[in-house]
Amino acid sequence: MMNTFRQSGTLLGFALIVVFFAVQLPDTFLTARNLINISQQLSMLAVVAATMTIVMVMNDFDLSVGSMASLSGIVAAMVFAAGYPVPVGLAAGLLVGVAGGLFNGFLVSVVGILPFVATLGTLTVYSGAAFYISNGKTIFGRDIPAGFSGFARGGVDIGDVKIPFLTITAGLVIFACWFILEHTTFGRRLYAIGGNKEAAHLAGLKVVRLRLIAFGLTGLGAAGAGLMYAARVASANPTQGSGLMLDAIAAVFLGMTMSRRGAPRVMYTLVGVLILGVLDNGLTQMRVDSYVREMLVGLIVISAVAIASLSQRGR
Amino acid sequence: MHSLTFSNMSKAYGGVPALADVTLHLAGGRVHALMGENGAGKSTLIKLIAGVVRADSLTVIKDGQTLPLTNAQDAQDAGFRFIHQELNIVPQVSVAENILLGRALPRRFGVAVDWADLRAQARAALKFLGATHIDVRALAGDLPAGDKMMMKIAAALVAAQGTPADLYVFDEPTAALTGEESDMLFAVIERLRAGGAAVLYVSHRMDEVLRICDDVTVLRDGARVSTKPVADTSKAEIIQAMTGRDVKDAYPPRSSAMGDTIARVENVQTRDLHDLTFDIKAGEVLGVSGLAEAGQSRLLRLFMGLNRVQSGRAEFDGAPLPNSPAQAWARGVAYIPRERRADSLCLNMAIRSNIVLPHLGRYGLRAQKRRERRDAVDMGQKVRLKSNGPEQPVGQLSGGNQQKVVFARALLGNPKLLLLDEPTRGVDVGAKYDIYLLVRELSAQGCAVILTSTDLPEILGMCDRVLVLQDGRQAHLLDRAALSGSGDLLTRFYSAEQGGQ
Repeated sequence: MMNTFRQSGTLLGFALIVVFFAVQLPDTFLTARNLINISQQLSMLAVVAATMTIVMVMNDFDLSVGSMASLSGIVAAMVFAAGYPVPVGLAAGLLVGVAGGLFNGFLVSVVGILPFVATLGTLTVYSGAAFYISNGKTIFGRDIPAGFSGFARGGVDIGDVKIPFLTITAGLVIFACWFILEHTTFGRRLYAIGGNKEAAHLAGLKVVRLRLIAFGLTGLGAAGAGLMYAARVASANPTQGSGLMLDAIAAVFLGMTMSRRGAPRVMYTLVGVLILGVLDNGLTQMRVDSYVREMLVGLIVISAVAIASLSQRGR
Repeated sequence: MHSLTFSNMSKAYGGVPALADVTLHLAGGRVHALMGENGAGKSTLIKLIAGVVRADSLTVIKDGQTLPLTNAQDAQDAGFRFIHQELNIVPQVSVAENILLGRALPRRFGVAVDWADLRAQARAALKFLGATHIDVRALAGDLPAGDKMMMKIAAALVAAQGTPADLYVFDEPTAALTGEESDMLFAVIERLRAGGAAVLYVSHRMDEVLRICDDVTVLRDGARVSTKPVADTSKAEIIQAMTGRDVKDAYPPRSSAMGDTIARVENVQTRDLHDLTFDIKAGEVLGVSGLAEAGQSRLLRLFMGLNRVQSGRAEFDGAPLPNSPAQAWARGVAYIPRERRADSLCLNMAIRSNIVLPHLGRYGLRAQKRRERRDAVDMGQKVRLKSNGPEQPVGQLSGGNQQKVVFARALLGNPKLLLLDEPTRGVDVGAKYDIYLLVRELSAQGCAVILTSTDLPEILGMCDRVLVLQDGRQAHLLDRAALSGSGDLLTRFYSAEQGGQ
């Protein structure tokens, strides 16, 4: 009973938030246009959070996703600026993310540094690298090909609504992460590592390799989000991904409050992402000061997790 | 001289008696040995008289007067001092501070610590013990094990300030000491005895007990078997009293023949194991025994690729030993580690997930929940697992059933070699028997088993041969013939510890 309440509590909270905004903003909130807008706004966060879930399943996490996103946006933009076609730039950006993620994984699983310390270090390294190669400047205008930025404006028309490509991309990434974590042997092994690392090792799981790959995937996701962001604003600057990390971790934690055994799951992470996205959209429309908005979001995340951990203690 | 009687000592945990109506008479100026196997009730008895665990029943009579004993403070007030097996010292601070730990430190001007006085008190205590070589300003963590022990005894003396201690309880004090350090300890015990204190000395080291004790009480299965003056008994008699259960009924007999040699180890040396030479046949149960931490777990880890062969030859199933747990499982080695919770199970995960964990690769890239569930249910039945179905989290099961999950995992691979590290530790009697039956079934199928245990009857009841380790070195390899004259083995087992020093 308590357990069911705990699991559905977050979902209930989400419903209340939606109802609240629907009442407060009767004309603008629950419109197809606004909902699509929200889905597009949070598509980058959704990608980062879903791929962050992959490492958080193992009780690890990655603080460097924000700067990896910025760095891969910058790298792609510089490749474009050098006159290479769009696919080359995309590949370069994604490659940077995979390399950055694998380096994180190397530090954490091969060298054995705590994820907090390792990725805190690489956070500044990647961020510094982004500033260094871009000279701290925003890359925009003619350097960004229309084929790249056009993607973010485009979409698939269904009836009289247009589903943005960014939303579709996020949906595909979420589906992929869900499939990997819940329906492949690889994902099941990651959950076992999160359950008991030593037991997993003694049961013959190649823990070092698995963690390495998982961090690589998180890096790939961060890079993907960085490219989506760059496409959306048709420019790249070395700080544009920096907000993603905290929100992504918050979304995973929000999602974990719904998980029966306290382990992160992709679909719950998605609910966390939606809560953050809806709050942001609704509060902005209600013209709540952005600083107040930040405080509210932080407090909501803390209270959700607090309620979950209190009710768990009650069991 | 004082006389001290603890009578009607009883304690049950969750309905299972750990100690049943035990009576102990101690006298000032005598050293009383308390002996028994693991699980015989020694630790429980000490906890009761230390007031750490609340007894179900306990009467303490000191010099004809009944004393209350319900908490640790009562034990202190009664003049009981305890020197525990695992020394709880604070390694980062000085010896002097450790000796006065938990007491009000001497002060100057009401605030500042009076270091001179503090050190003088610590020195006085050490001097009484004849351990003047210990520098009270040294960091406690830097002392050798024997000096740490002296420091703790000194702390016990200081704690007795004002009220002299009437009873000193030593719980396996020599476990971590060298022979020389032990001798120093025995001299201290002699001094305490000469001072008129009673000493209760808990140990399973036979020769020590015969050497320094006046009386000996043997516990078995929570009950007192005998109390005798040491002069009136013998090593053989004490061992008989400690292990005297009927070995035959507790263990299912073996009914199958053995096959060909499946693993061979010749003159193998690793970082922490030496002189290993043995082989094991399909269907054989090889016991590995010795004192605690003599290398039993390390020997098993050799076959998991967790302990590298540095010299010598070792092969399993016609190839060198596996070099990682992944390879070991893939080649048909199943491993049941000693620490079930720490090393075997993901407690928050389902029974099914835990059972299939090492075998996930066999289901292909795509996870196959239905096939996994079927396998988990099959294996669960095989090991007589009691649960609410394969999706129940393992953390909700009893210790015995958790261990059965670990067995189900091992069985699922149809292993050729099963490594069992203390498989019945913390397992209730019924589940124990089920586990023995499983071992028998596996050997009937041709699986070789290496079993470590500090429970001697278990080793005798289950194993075809026994390898006795001593400080990481192979001391004996006893075959069936040697085992049948079990008295001989027991003597060797318990004297192995002496040779190690």
